[in-house]
Amino acid sequence: MEADPKEARKSTKGGWIFLLAGLIGALIVGWIIFPVLLYSEKSQPLTFSHASHGPESDAGLDCEECHFFYKDGTFSGIPKIKKCIECHEDPESPLTESPEEVKLFTEYVGPEKEIPWLIYSRQPDCVYFPHIAHVKMAEIECSVCHGDFATRKTSPPYKVNRLTGYSIDIWGRNIAGYKRNTWDNMKMDDCAECHTKKGKEDNNACFVCHK
Amino acid sequence: MEFNRRNFIKFAVGGTGGILLSPLPWKLIDDIAIWTQNWSWVPVPVRGKFSYLNSVCTLCPGACGIQVRKVGSRAVKIEGRGDYPVNQGGICPLGMAGLQILYNEGIRWKAPMKRVGPRGSQEWKEIPWDEAIDELATRIKGLREKGSPEKLAAIDGNQSRSTMALLIKRLLSSIGSPNYMVMPREEDTYDMVNFLMQGSRGPIAFDLENADFIVSFGCSLFDGWGAPGRMLSASREWVKNKTYLVQIDPRTSNTASKADLWLAPFPGTEAALALGMAHVIIKEKLYSKEFIENHTFGFADWFEEDGVKHKGFSRIVLEKYSPQVVENITGIKGRVIIEVARKFASAHAPIALAGRGKGTLPGSLYEFMAVHALNALKGRVNKKGGPLIADDIPLAQWSDPEYDPVAMDGLKKARVDLAKTPRYPFSRSLVNKFTETINNSHGSPIDTLMLFSANPAFTIPDSQSFIKAMAKIPFIVSFSPFMDETSLMADLILPDHTHLEKMADIVWPTGIQYPLYALSQPVVKPIYRTEHSGDVIISLAKRIGGPVSGSFQWANFEEALKERVKGLYDSGREKVSWADIKENGYWSIPAHSFEGGSDIFQTPSKRFEFFSTEIELAIKAYSKGKSFDDALLDLGISSKGDEVYMPHYEEIKSGADKKEYPLLLFPMELINLASGWIGNPPYLNKTLFDHQLKRDDLFVEVNPKTASQYRLKEGSKAIIRSPKGELRVRIHLFHGAMPDVIFIPFGLGHTAYDKYLKGKGVNPNEIIDQVEDPLSGQPVWWNTRVKLIRI
Amino acid sequence: MKKEDTTKGNRYGMVIDLDKCTGCGVCLIACASENNIPVMYDESDKTRNITWLQIYMVTNGKEFPETEVIYIPRPCMQCDNPPCVPVCPATATDKDPTSGIISQIYTRCIGCRYCMAACPYHARVFNWFDPWFPEGMDRYLSPEVSPRMRGVVEKCSFCHHRLMRAKAKANVEGRRDLKEDEYIPACVEACPTKAITFGDLNNPKHKISELIKSPHAFRLLERLNTEPKVYYISTKNWVRRMADNYLSGEFKDRS
Repeated sequence: MEADPKEARKSTKGGWIFLLAGLIGALIVGWIIFPVLLYSEKSQPLTFSHASHGPESDAGLDCEECHFFYKDGTFSGIPKIKKCIECHEDPESPLTESPEEVKLFTEYVGPEKEIPWLIYSRQPDCVYFPHIAHVKMAEIECSVCHGDFATRKTSPPYKVNRLTGYSIDIWGRNIAGYKRNTWDNMKMDDCAECHTKKGKEDNNACFVCHK
Repeated sequence: MEFNRRNFIKFAVGGTGGILLSPLPWKLIDDIAIWTQNWSWVPVPVRGKFSYLNSVCTLCPGACGIQVRKVGSRAVKIEGRGDYPVNQGGICPLGMAGLQILYNEGIRWKAPMKRVGPRGSQEWKEIPWDEAIDELATRIKGLREKGSPEKLAAIDGNQSRSTMALLIKRLLSSIGSPNYMVMPREEDTYDMVNFLMQGSRGPIAFDLENADFIVSFGCSLFDGWGAPGRMLSASREWVKNKTYLVQIDPRTSNTASKADLWLAPFPGTEAALALGMAHVIIKEKLYSKEFIENHTFGFADWFEEDGVKHKGFSRIVLEKYSPQVVENITGIKGRVIIEVARKFASAHAPIALAGRGKGTLPGSLYEFMAVHALNALKGRVNKKGGPLIADDIPLAQWSDPEYDPVAMDGLKKARVDLAKTPRYPFSRSLVNKFTETINNSHGSPIDTLMLFSANPAFTIPDSQSFIKAMAKIPFIVSFSPFMDETSLMADLILPDHTHLEKMADIVWPTGIQYPLYALSQPVVKPIYRTEHSGDVIISLAKRIGGPVSGSFQWANFEEALKERVKGLYDSGREKVSWADIKENGYWSIPAHSFEGGSDIFQTPSKRFEFFSTEIELAIKAYSKGKSFDDALLDLGISSKGDEVYMPHYEEIKSGADKKEYPLLLFPMELINLASGWIGNPPYLNKTLFDHQLKRDDLFVEVNPKTASQYRLKEGSKAIIRSPKGELRVRIHLFHGAMPDVIFIPFGLGHTAYDKYLKGKGVNPNEIIDQVEDPLSGQPVWWNTRVKLIRI
Repeated sequence: MKKEDTTKGNRYGMVIDLDKCTGCGVCLIACASENNIPVMYDESDKTRNITWLQIYMVTNGKEFPETEVIYIPRPCMQCDNPPCVPVCPATATDKDPTSGIISQIYTRCIGCRYCMAACPYHARVFNWFDPWFPEGMDRYLSPEVSPRMRGVVEKCSFCHHRLMRAKAKANVEGRRDLKEDEYIPACVEACPTKAITFGDLNNPKHKISELIKSPHAFRLLERLNTEPKVYYISTKNWVRRMADNYLSGEFKDRS
C-alpha cells in the first residue's frame, strides 16, 4: 500500500508545537526543576542574627571579637560555644526575648555542647585557604567572598549539592554560573579570576591554593 | 496533530535542544567529576584550633622531651623538644610513631576485662572497674587470710626508680610478698658493677658528649642504646669535636659504620679484649699513677694482715692477657689491640663503655667489670668525659609502709626467683630463675601474678619456658594497655592508660650525665575506659584494707608522685615549684661537679676496687659448709684464685654440642624495630627493608661464606634449630656479618597485637638457649648454638 | 630544552650529610605522620606501599670485616628541570614558581603514572589501594594535608603545608618573606643527628648555599640534567661514585 504524501504532510502539520513543547518542557526541567532537585536544603541548628551582634547593633561587638586570628596566623572561623557563653551565661536572665536564645541555653549553653553550624563557605579538603593572606595582607573585605552576612538578621537555609556535597554558596548560587556579585560563586575559577587579575602569574600556581 | 513518530521526533529534538540550552548537562558533568573526587571512605581530617603541648616520652627509660601538635582535642603529630636537656630535639622512631600506639584501636584494651572461656581462648567479658578491682582485692585478701601473702608476685617493666615502680613494690611489701621482680635489663649489670667496684648503688652515668675517645664494647650507640634521642644528638657533638669512636661489634651495625674504627671480636670475648688493652696500658705504664696509687684497691700485689699474699690486678693482667693470648681468644690482631690501647691511653678524655645492643637486656658481670677497669686505669672515674658517680636525685622519701604480722612473716620467706639469696647475692631480680623455679615445682609457688608495663611472654629470652610457667600460675592479672602476648594469657585485665594519656615519671633517664627527673603529663584525655595503674593500685590497697590501706594514704597517683617531687623543690638546689616541673617536664642539676678523691667510693676499702671485697665476702658466705671449688662451680665461675674477685674473662659455656650446633645465633636490636613490651607500630614497618622482612618472612643476616657452606642464596628459606626449638627464616647475605654467626633481629614474630604485626616474622626469644652468667645469674641471651638447615 | 631562569624567587633545597646519617628512619616516620601517609598490612611490598621519603641502604661491597654501610634518605629531588612535569597530561603536577617545589594535585591526577615512569629517582608512588588507616588511627590525621584517594600519584612536597604555615605566621607580623629557620620540612626537623640542612638555594646567606660548595657535595644522577635541589655530602669516595654511572677514569677522587 502506497502512503498518500498529502496525508503524511497533513499529519505533521503543526508539528512545530511538539518541537516547542519539547523545547519549553526541557527548558523548564533544566532551568527550574533541575536546580531544585540538585540541592538539598538544611536549616541551621539555630537562627543567628549577625545584625544584632555586630558593631552597629546594641551588642556592638567588633567582627574580630568572634572571628579572629590565632597567634600562628590561622583563622578562628565560627566561634566556639565558650565564646557564646561569655555573654549568654545565665539562662535566668536572657539577653533577648527570642525563642532562639532559649534554645541556645537549653541545648548548647547548658550542656556546653558545640553548636553544629553548617558552614556555608566550607571549601573542599584539597583547598588551602589562609584568611590572613587575604584579609590582612591583600586587604580584601570579608564581604568580597562572604557577601552581606555581617548585616543579616537570620541564617538562611544551608543548601548543599546532592552530588558533590558542597554548599551552594561556594558551588554557585546561579545554576548557570552567572555571577552578579563576587561572592556568588567560590569555585576554583572564581579564586583564579582574582589571583590572575592581580597581575601575578605566580600567584595562580597550583600549590598556592592546593594542599 | 496526532502524536505520531514524526512528531515524537520533533518533540525529542525540541527537548534535546532545550536541555542543551539549559545548564543541566554541563552542571551534571562538572558535579559528577567532583563527585568522583569525594569517595566517602577517604577520610577528611576534622579541622580545629592548632596547639602544642609539651610532655615527655615515657615509652623507654630514655625520657626524651616531646611536643605534641594538636588539632582541637586530637593529637596529630609528635615532635622532639629542642629545649629539652635529654634529647635536644631528636627522638627515636618509636617515639615519633607514638600516636599509632595511642590511637590504634586494634591493639588496645578498651575496658577492664575478665576471662570467661578457657585461658587463651580469647573469650572476654567487659566488667565495671569496681568489680575488677574488687576481684583482685578479694583474692589478695584471701592469700593474706591463709597466711601466704608471698604467693602474690609482680613483674614490673617500669623504670626502677620511677614512682610507679616504687608504688608497686610498696604494694607488695605492705601485703607481705617479697616477690617483686623487674624485667631483666642492662641497668642491672651496671648497678652491680657500680656496687662491686665503686660501692655506690646509684646509676652509672656516662659523660659521652665530653669524651674525646670512646670505646664501645658492643653498645649500639646509634641503634637505640641509652636514651636514643640523646645518643643521636650526641653524635652531632662528636662530629664537631672530632671524637674518636671505636665500636666493637660482631656485625657492621649502624654504629660500626659510623665509627672511626670497627673491631669484631668473637661474641662473648669482649672482656678478654678489654683486658688485652689493659695489659698494654699496664705494661707500657700508660695508666694514671695518681689515681691508681691513691684511689684504687687491688692493683698491685698485697699481703693481708695474716700474711696471705694476693696477686694484684696488674700482675694477673700482665700474666694472662698479652696481646698474643688475646688475639687467640678474640680474633683481633695483637698489633691492633696495642694500637687501640695506646690511642685510648693517650687520649685526653677516653671512656670505655660496656654493653650489648640497645641495653634492654642484661650483660655479663665480669665483662662489664673488665671494661670499667679501663676507665679506672686512666683515672677517668668522675672526671669530665668519663663515667660518673653522681648523687641521687633529692626526691622525698615516702614514710615506711606499715607491716602487720602477716606481712612481716611473708616478707621473711625466700624469693621465688632466688635473687638476693647467697646463691645470687648481687642480682636484685631474676625472672629467668622465677620461671625455672615454677617449672620445677609441683603446683605453683605463686598464686597470683601481676604484670605491669611488661610483656615477658614475648620479650624474655627463652620465652617458651616463661609461657609454660605462666600456664601453671592460677591467677594472672595484667595491667597492660595492650592486647599483648602476656595479657592475652591473663585472667583479669586492668588496662592502664598509654603514655600519652597519663602522668608518669622517669627518675634519671638511662646514662644521662647529671641528675634529671622527667615528668610526663597527659596529652589527650583517656580515649577508652582505662585507668592509671597508679590510681588502681591505690584503690586496690584501700580495698584490701588494714595496714595495706594505711600505707597508701594518697587519694590518687598524682598525690603520691607530688609527695616525692616535693623533695626536689625543698632541696633548694634549684629554685623550682611543682608547677614549673609539670610545665617544663623536668627537674635537673644541669652540671656535674666532677669531684675527685676517695670519698666518692663507698666500697669497704673506700677505694675503687679492682679486687672486689664484696665478691670475696659473698663467695665466702656461700661456700660455708661446702668446698670452695664446689661453691665456685655452683656460681658458674671457672677461674681460680684472686682472679675470681677481679674483672677477668670467663668463657661463657653453652650446653649445646658445638659439633651438632656449629653456628652462633646472635640476636640484634634495631632502632627502627621496637623489641620491648611495646609492639612495633605500623609506621616502623615502613622503615624495614625488604631484605629484613618480606611479607611474613623474617630474614637473618648471614655472611656469604657461611651461607655458601650450606648452599644458601639470597632469599633462600632455611630453618634455624637450637636445642630449644626451631625458627623458619629466609637468608640475607651480608658481608658485614661475622662468618659462622647468624644475626636475627628482636621484635618480630608476635602472636598477639593486630594484623599489622601479628604473624610477621619470628621471635628469636623462642629458641634462645640461655645459660646463666657467672655470679650474677642473669640470662646470657646472645650465646645460643644453632644449626642451619636448608629447606 | 630551554632552561628557565632559576635565580628568581625562592629555591628551596636540601643537603643531606650521609656521614652523619645513621639510618635510624626517624625522617621517614616524621614524614609519614606529618603527611597523613596510610599504612598497609604488608609494608614489605615496596612496589605498592606508600613512602614519600625512602631510605636506601648501600654497602661498599667489601668483605668482612671491611664492610661499610651507609644510608641514603631520598625525598623528592624537587628538580629544577623536572622530568615528571612536562609528561603530565592533566597538568596535575607543576613546578611552583615561588618556591621551586614540584606540586602534585591529587584531585587533578588521573593516575596514568607517566610521571612515575619519567622520574629517575623513584620519588613518586601510586595509590594502588584506598588510603587505609588502621581502626581508630584516622583520629591522628592532620587537616593540613589532604588524604589521597585510590588511583592517584603522590610524592614528597617538602612539607609544602609547612611553608604555608610559616607564611601565615609571618603574615601576622605583616611579613611576606621568611627567615631561614621558619620553614623546614618535618624530616629535617626530626633528624636527630641534624644530618639534613634545609634552606633557600637562591639565598647566599643560608647555610645550605655554603654547604653545596663542598667538594664532597653531589647529587644523584647529576648527568641526567634534572638539576635536583637535594644535595648529598659524603667524604667517602665509594659513596660519591655510587651516585652516578661513571665511565672508568671519569670519577674524580676528592677524599
